[in-house]
Amino acid sequence: MSTRILVVDDDMALAEMIGIVLRSEGFEPLFCADGAEAVAAFKQAVPDLVLLDLMLPGMDGIEVAQRIRAESGTPIIMLTAKSDTSDVVRGLESGADDYMVKPFNPNELVARVRARLRPAAPSSSNTTVHVGDLVMDVAAHEVRRGDSRINLTPLEFYLLLALASKPQQVFTREMLLEQVWGYHYKADTRLVNVHVQRLRAKVEHDPDNPQIVQTVRGVGYRAGVLV
Amino acid sequence: MTTTAPRSGSRARGWRRPSQWPAAIARLWGASLQFRTVLLTILLSGVAIVITGLVVSYSVGNDLYQSRLDQALRDAGRAQQQVQSVLDATDASDPATVLGLGQAVKFAVQGASSSRMMAFSRAPGQAADPQAPTDYTAGMSPGLVTPELAARVAKTPDTLFSQSVALPVDVGDTSLTDPGVIIGAQIRLPTAGAYELFLGYDLSDSEQTLTFVQRTLLLAGIALIALIGALTYVVVRFVVAPIQLAAATSRRLAAGDLAVRLPEDGEDVFTSLARSFNGMAESLQRQITQLATLSQLQQRFVSDVSHELRTPLTTIRLASEHLHDRRDEFDEATARTAELLNTQVERFDLLLSDLLEISRYDAGSVALELEPTSLVKLAEDAIDEFAPLARAHDTELRLTAPGGYSEVRMDPRRVRRVIRNLIGNAIEHSESRPIDVLVDSNASAVAIAVRDHGMGMSESDVGHVFDRFWRADPSRQRTIGGTGLGLAISQEDALIHGGSLDVWSRPGEGSCFRLTLPRRRSGALGESPIPLPPADAQEETS
Repeated sequence: MSTRILVVDDDMALAEMIGIVLRSEGFEPLFCADGAEAVAAFKQAVPDLVLLDLMLPGMDGIEVAQRIRAESGTPIIMLTAKSDTSDVVRGLESGADDYMVKPFNPNELVARVRARLRPAAPSSSNTTVHVGDLVMDVAAHEVRRGDSRINLTPLEFYLLLALASKPQQVFTREMLLEQVWGYHYKADTRLVNVHVQRLRAKVEHDPDNPQIVQTVRGVGYRAGVLV
Repeated sequence: MTTTAPRSGSRARGWRRPSQWPAAIARLWGASLQFRTVLLTILLSGVAIVITGLVVSYSVGNDLYQSRLDQALRDAGRAQQQVQSVLDATDASDPATVLGLGQAVKFAVQGASSSRMMAFSRAPGQAADPQAPTDYTAGMSPGLVTPELAARVAKTPDTLFSQSVALPVDVGDTSLTDPGVIIGAQIRLPTAGAYELFLGYDLSDSEQTLTFVQRTLLLAGIALIALIGALTYVVVRFVVAPIQLAAATSRRLAAGDLAVRLPEDGEDVFTSLARSFNGMAESLQRQITQLATLSQLQQRFVSDVSHELRTPLTTIRLASEHLHDRRDEFDEATARTAELLNTQVERFDLLLSDLLEISRYDAGSVALELEPTSLVKLAEDAIDEFAPLARAHDTELRLTAPGGYSEVRMDPRRVRRVIRNLIGNAIEHSESRPIDVLVDSNASAVAIAVRDHGMGMSESDVGHVFDRFWRADPSRQRTIGGTGLGLAISQEDALIHGGSLDVWSRPGEGSCFRLTLPRRRSGALGESPIPLPPADAQEETS
């Protein structure tokens, strides 16, 4: 079965063109032009990835991202015409894994889609990884604290795994961008900041005083010491 | 506020030594309308009061003297009549009685007059008479009666003569005197002929009264001057206070506080001033707000247009790339068309994003995202990135970094953009000669300079290099395809960091662009760690 990608964009020409690019790369595009129908289309189609325009009629992209994120960890890549900080951060905080500023070129689009569908596997052969009081089952994509399962999106899982597989190593934001997001050039470090925040909100006992994902001032992040 | 503090300090210094007072007063005279008005009023009213006081004092003194003199004259006249009537009533046939007349005169005078100073003497020019009463004085210092007075009295009987004298307070001691008057009259003794009677009157009580009046006048004058001064001060304050308020309000208005207004209560001239002032402020505010709205609308429009263009441009870009990727399948002309379409769409893309960036600067909606960053690291990254392009232009990028390794807070995205822009421009104008990238730092700033040894620019070109859409040589072939906004944006990037972007260029010797950034956000930039003109150019000229 080919990989299905839901393209949510009200501009029919752009959606069709994105469809052509995706199809030529072997993906199967699905379309939705209205924000209000996007969540229903998502539930019905169960795509492997969502390309989501931020400015949509009906319901704005940020809300769509929040609703999709509420029930699924499916990767979301935002398409935005604005590269202003507030829009990008708002989009990322609503649950998008990555974003692309219009206009983008097809190679960039395909590279971002591929990176989200097959995140670079952290160099760890362990099947279970311990971080703090959490246990990560790499094969099952599961994180447990004691008996309770913590729901992480694939991105958050890989972010935590990257940190946890090399405990005590300090990761710069650039290293994380390369390992988790698959960027091989300088990209926006806000991606890392926002997703570390989202991850902390899920895994930390006290997100204001993080123990599992610790900030190393002026350098980056590292996994907390084993308990 | 900051300017008044040192001025008042210097004023305080000016008053410390009396030798500096004239200068201090002159300064105050020039600076304060209030001081000027109060001082002038006090001086003028002081002169008027002094003149009035002198006139009053003189006339009161005169009047007092005259009335005292009249009183003395009346007193003396009464005494004279009394004495004469006593003398007329005596039996003058007995020489012993005549001799005792002197004593009788004395009693009569003491009974009729208030004077306790008396001289009794036989008028000169009469034949000696052993039976005449002898001269005598009582309570009067000798020598007080001048010969002139005596002569006048002797000459004219029945008339009283007066003369001002200084009366010694103690008889025989002339050092301390009271003002006094001596009145002389002629009396006739039966058989013994004419005698002169002199009575002295002390005027010191009048003098005391006069002194008291003068002192009262002086005190009243001083009080009056002080009162006038205070009154003037208060009145001037009434006038000056609204002016000061208007001045302060104008200052605030000029400083940009467009909502300030003067109070408009009352019907006086200041209210009308306040009304006109407020009208002016109102109109200013309206126009400025209007302009601001217009400019905002315009910036908003540019920003909206740029955004609206982005979606179709994305489609075009995807389409052109798609065609471009498949150009091998097309015939030659179509393949070239796809190629042209692709490069021009890319250029359009760059232009649009630069336009959007500059409109963001124009709208003032740029926020820095500061991170501790090493300038050398950024330079190394950019040099690595541009190495292939440099090779393609048959040139070489050489980095020299004596300093600038330590991390300084800056927005790496913007600084990287500036460096890429400078290096890109340098490569384009390198003429296949090596390009030097120099990074250095000092206590207050970090700097990076990009020096090419290409054809350089004329002085007038250098003045335009940061202008939007300006190109050094319009006929020159573009190889990198800049948008014409690159250096304008770079300069905005430098300025928003509190830094500067400077240029040096000379025809035939190449150009040098230097970015200087402050070490601390609020800190002063100071002198750039890298000299401009560059060191090698300085050597050539010297």
